[in-house]
Amino acid sequence: MAEVSLKHIYKVYPNGTKAVNDFNMYIEDKEFIVFVGPSGCGKSTTLRMIAGLEDISAGELKIGDLVVNDMEPKDRDIAMVFQNYALYPHMTVYDNIAFGLRLRKLPKDEIHDKVVEAANILGITEYLDKKPKEMSGGQRQRVALGRAIVREPKVMLLDEPLSNLDAKLRTQMRSEISKLHSKLGTTFIYVTHDQVEAMTMGTRIVVMKDGFVQQIDTPKNLYNFPANKFVAGFIGTPQMNFFEGTLLKTDDKVIIAFDNSTAQITVPYSKLYKAKPEYLDGKTKVYIGLRPEDVSLADGGNKNGGSVVKVKISHKEELGSETLIYGDINMDGDGYDGSPTRIIIKDNGNREWQTGDVVEAVLNLERVHLFDAETEASVLPRVPEYNYLNCEVKGGRLIFCGAEVALPKAAECGDLKGELLLPTDAVIIGGSLKAEIVSCEKINGVYLLALTLNGNRLYAVVPECVDGNSVNIGLDFKKITVKTDGESKITPLPELNEFACKFVKNKAVEEIEINGKVKKQKTVRFGFVVEGTFFEANEENVQKIFAALGLKKAFSAGLKIECGASDLTVADEGIAASVLETLDYGTEKFLKCAVGENIVYVKCDAEKRGDIRLLPDFGRVGVVETEREIKII
Amino acid sequence: MEKKKFRSKKGAERVSLVLIYAILIIISLIWLIPFLMLIILSFRGEQVGMSVDYLFPKQWSFNNYVRLFTETKFLTWYGNTLLVSVIVTVVQTVIVLMTSYALSRLRFKLRKPLMNLMLILGMFPGFLSMTAVYFVLKEIGLTQNLLGLILVYSASSAMQYYICKGFFDTIPKSLDEAARIDGASRHTVFLKIILPLAKPIIIYTILTAFIAPWGEYMFSSFIMLGNDDKFTVAVGMKSWLDNATLMGQEGYFPIFCAAAVVVSIPITALFIWLQRYYVEGVTGGSVKG
Amino acid sequence: MNLTYLKMSPLEKFWFNFKAFFKRLPSSFAAFFKAIPKKLYKLWLAFAGIFLNIGRAARDGDWKTRTSFGVMGFGLICRKQYLRGILYLLFEVLFVLYMVFFGWKYLVKMGSLGEVACVEGKDPLTGITTYTYYDNSLLILLYSLLTIFIMAAFVYMWYQNVKGNLLSQQFVEAHLTLPTTKDDVHSYANENYHKSLLSIPMFGLVVFTILPIFFMIFIAFTNYDKAHMPPAELFQWSGFDNFVTVLGGGVSSNSKIFAYTFGEVLLWTIVWAFFATFTNYILGMVVAILINKKGIRFKKLWRTVLVITIAVPQFVSLMFMSQLLADQGLINKLLEKWGWINQAIPFLTDGTFARATVIIVNVWIGIPYSMLICTGILMNIPADLYESARIDGAGPVKAYMKITLPYMLHVTTPYLITQFIGNLNNFNVIFLLTGGAPSSLDMQNAGKTDLLITWLYKLTVSESQYGIASVIGIFTFAVVAVLSLILYNRSKSVKNEEEFM
Repeated sequence: MAEVSLKHIYKVYPNGTKAVNDFNMYIEDKEFIVFVGPSGCGKSTTLRMIAGLEDISAGELKIGDLVVNDMEPKDRDIAMVFQNYALYPHMTVYDNIAFGLRLRKLPKDEIHDKVVEAANILGITEYLDKKPKEMSGGQRQRVALGRAIVREPKVMLLDEPLSNLDAKLRTQMRSEISKLHSKLGTTFIYVTHDQVEAMTMGTRIVVMKDGFVQQIDTPKNLYNFPANKFVAGFIGTPQMNFFEGTLLKTDDKVIIAFDNSTAQITVPYSKLYKAKPEYLDGKTKVYIGLRPEDVSLADGGNKNGGSVVKVKISHKEELGSETLIYGDINMDGDGYDGSPTRIIIKDNGNREWQTGDVVEAVLNLERVHLFDAETEASVLPRVPEYNYLNCEVKGGRLIFCGAEVALPKAAECGDLKGELLLPTDAVIIGGSLKAEIVSCEKINGVYLLALTLNGNRLYAVVPECVDGNSVNIGLDFKKITVKTDGESKITPLPELNEFACKFVKNKAVEEIEINGKVKKQKTVRFGFVVEGTFFEANEENVQKIFAALGLKKAFSAGLKIECGASDLTVADEGIAASVLETLDYGTEKFLKCAVGENIVYVKCDAEKRGDIRLLPDFGRVGVVETEREIKII
Repeated sequence: MEKKKFRSKKGAERVSLVLIYAILIIISLIWLIPFLMLIILSFRGEQVGMSVDYLFPKQWSFNNYVRLFTETKFLTWYGNTLLVSVIVTVVQTVIVLMTSYALSRLRFKLRKPLMNLMLILGMFPGFLSMTAVYFVLKEIGLTQNLLGLILVYSASSAMQYYICKGFFDTIPKSLDEAARIDGASRHTVFLKIILPLAKPIIIYTILTAFIAPWGEYMFSSFIMLGNDDKFTVAVGMKSWLDNATLMGQEGYFPIFCAAAVVVSIPITALFIWLQRYYVEGVTGGSVKG
Repeated sequence: MNLTYLKMSPLEKFWFNFKAFFKRLPSSFAAFFKAIPKKLYKLWLAFAGIFLNIGRAARDGDWKTRTSFGVMGFGLICRKQYLRGILYLLFEVLFVLYMVFFGWKYLVKMGSLGEVACVEGKDPLTGITTYTYYDNSLLILLYSLLTIFIMAAFVYMWYQNVKGNLLSQQFVEAHLTLPTTKDDVHSYANENYHKSLLSIPMFGLVVFTILPIFFMIFIAFTNYDKAHMPPAELFQWSGFDNFVTVLGGGVSSNSKIFAYTFGEVLLWTIVWAFFATFTNYILGMVVAILINKKGIRFKKLWRTVLVITIAVPQFVSLMFMSQLLADQGLINKLLEKWGWINQAIPFLTDGTFARATVIIVNVWIGIPYSMLICTGILMNIPADLYESARIDGAGPVKAYMKITLPYMLHVTTPYLITQFIGNLNNFNVIFLLTGGAPSSLDMQNAGKTDLLITWLYKLTVSESQYGIASVIGIFTFAVVAVLSLILYNRSKSVKNEEEFM
């Protein structure tokens, strides 16, 4: 019955450890959100912050339309189910369920009706007169659920509610909780360390690790498009196989070579359109991920071109319906340890395999996952950040993919041949180039348009889907980069300007006329001092700063203002700056200015010279506390 | 051979069991005999001093008990002690519970310093502060007065928080949290959740608080010095013995025994009744770090 | 991880730790002294912070806040936080009244502790000698101390008031909603609930424990004794004279005896506490193990027999024992009658005998209690520990040495420490059993079995040597504190080994 929004939520302990880092999420009404991750990843802390059992160090938490940061748990209209059930041992089941209602001073009859109804829903009517210790784990869990639902909360919070149950009961309760969710239509937030629970129950899953959100997506997308190696390994059992290896592009093929093994397989380049070219140089290390279910044993004729590797079987696990075969693609290794050549194969066949057999495994290359060896981020992001293209600049015109556009003045450079880094959101609809549309899909709220421009693949992130077979596109020149020999010749306009600032209190004596008399009145104004200039902060920002830093620390903390070029305007008063040059991008113009030692960029209508004043739009700027790197606004 | 070994092992075990039974019986005797002697002596009819060379009385009689209640101030003392005990029990239990809950469940800046302070105060010999307390009481006219004694006994009850806090610490925190989410204030949590669950430790606290004034001698003798109408049983009975040795009033010894029996009976009964809680409190609370 | 250490036998481990301890000693001393400036600096920061806050309030405060410097709670009342404001104001008024009508006149006399104690006069009408009492040193000291306490409380409240006023001003300036009186009242059931719970217990503690302790510490610096008994006489400050006397450096002939007595009594106190604690503990454990042994029946009966003895008030059993064990007591008489002895055994009248007797009687008194505790813990030792030990081939003795004893020691260390401290100050057992007897001529008012605490009792109650007694009390505290700190620190290292957790 309510949305929950978490903006820049942090949990920082007094000793400086950050349990939760910059948690951002918007949970829609009636969603079933699961927080999942290994222990100590911050999932329970986040849940407890939503519940109000843990203070929020910084950020804004909204339930419905209310900011609830400083509200007591009881005023937040939430209910929570605990791992150890937390039933009141001295009360009967009836009293347990009624406790919250009694505290809210509901009439007796109403309480009775609600308790009986909740007991009916959960099938615990016959235990209403029992004490918790006379009941089994599953029944206790139901009572805990009953206690939560009877209050008809806006949000239900469940903290590993099933981990104290045995495996069979857990499966049963899992589906019952799902049923309850669809029946109640309440927003559920569910914490678990068990990925099976997460996958089966959640409409969306938040995967966390070390206090950072790794990925927020639906179960299917998490499985199919893991954003990094951690998510890929965490979701799915048995774990995804990871091999170290390299990728080498030759014409329209890419050779995937495995380290510690002679095995190598070839895939068409079309599978790897989204990858950065650097990964395809045959040298950059990547992790090659393949789920056990995407590997099968070659059964005579079932070979599929080059996607076959030899595997030496070390042992197997019979699961009845299927067999897990552990082997190694390096013929000398064994399949017991987690070495980077170990392979697990899910086999449904009936053939008996012996330890030591060398078999051929068929890799389903449709489903290969590739991850950067260092950052562990996916090499094939669903929404790529950049198009990597070869280009040429000649006479002020940019030539790429066989197409040609005029460079604006600000992005001019001498003739060269090099690479073009074209951000996917710098491809804009409407322009001089005609491209064919391959596909358009919605991913996480944006549309990814796959295009071909003279036979070359281009991706564009657009706000709305485009119909038809072809579309005219143009480029946003202020975002592109052109490099030659590793040196940037055309650089994009920085997205964010940063100013160091302090939060201050200013006292002023104002003269106010009341009934014809001039009265002096002291007023206090709060604001930011940026480069020696005072800007009054609006009410909302003041509140946020006080909420995050407290009344005392707000004035001593070092802050940083972040704003885009279009959040700054040239005005009569403001931060003193001197114009270094005017950047003309055709339709838009920007001023490159020096403020103190910093360089900032400002959007402007006309060319300017000399000293100017800049006015940030405080409704849109971000404020960051520099010491702990916490986003406050 | 295997069998033989097995049997011999069993035999050795049997011997050791018999030995243990013997030891236990001896121990029980050692612990019970003095009390049996006490009871037997209290029924001694003949008026001889404590220096006799026989245990069983030559004349069994209730006379000592009759004299105890008619000729001595024992009944007054008994009433005094009972009154003090009951009030101290109530006050001390409430204070201990409040302090323990605050120190166990609430987090405030002075929590650790406060616990350290009480630890250090516990190291001061209690008697050291007695003189000052005596004069404070004297100024407000509470010396030789039961109220003064009650004040002294209950004033520093907070320092007895240790065992009770240990018990509170074992009650899962998630109960508090669940209740707070259910809409309870800290106060409601204390009254409706923690207290009902703390029954064993409450009874333990009551029991220890109730027993303490019966056996306490140091403070009560000091505060009641010179007014035998306000003595507690401990002070009164000790005064008999002191006088007996001084003045050779030998008849007091059997009466002393009778008094001891009368004092012991209700407390023992209470103890046996509530033994379970006492054992729980002792074994559960006192050993937690 | 130190593998060589793990390989060592227990003896080698001990030797290793022993060496390491002394090797570490200089550096830990150095670290301790190095830490001092840092701590001082921290203290200074905290102290400076107070003045900084006051200065800030004076600088940033508006006229309402500034008025609160003099009229407490003024700003709060102006900002509609009536309850808090009025309480501050009320406190200030009460404080001023107290100072004017009571506190001040005692405080000014604290330096001299009074000029004139008592004036003798004749009633002109009846001719009877009358005494007019003026200054009572005792009350002057007590009340000026009380006044100092109250002044400290006032300063603290005043500081809180300044801070609170500034905060409420800042709240208003920041357009934050100020907590209303209703919120304040509610907060005392929620985030300020500890204040509601602890105020009464703490009040009792301050008035009946902390104030008296300070009083006694001050008494130690006066010549308060038989010759200087208020209200007839005054007593004066005497500096460290009492300390010198107790330590044997005094001029009076008593001084040497005092020093000797103090040494003797202190030594016996420590010996007593050690034996009383460990005999009880070990024997209690043995009894508990016997009762809990597999195959022993009527467990509950044995336990109840012992528990009943706890129920009989200690003073009854102690006094009864003292009668039984007297030279002319029943036990001696019976033994004589049976012909086992010719002469009474001096259970309580010979120094060495008496000391042994009190320890043994204490065992009799204490075993049921320690048995109970040990039983509880024994039942908590996970059975699989024993099972795995048996599979590893450990016999009952080995199992006891390797599992039971370490486990018990590990869990009961805090209990042992409290018992040890309790025994250092164990008044009842000694006083009711022997009364400190047998007395000794070498010692000042003390007997062979007197503990510091019983000696203290005698010195005050029968000898009125208050000044000296206070000094001994302070020393007793020092002994108890040092010993328990040592034990406590040892137990911390034990606690860190979480092998059984």
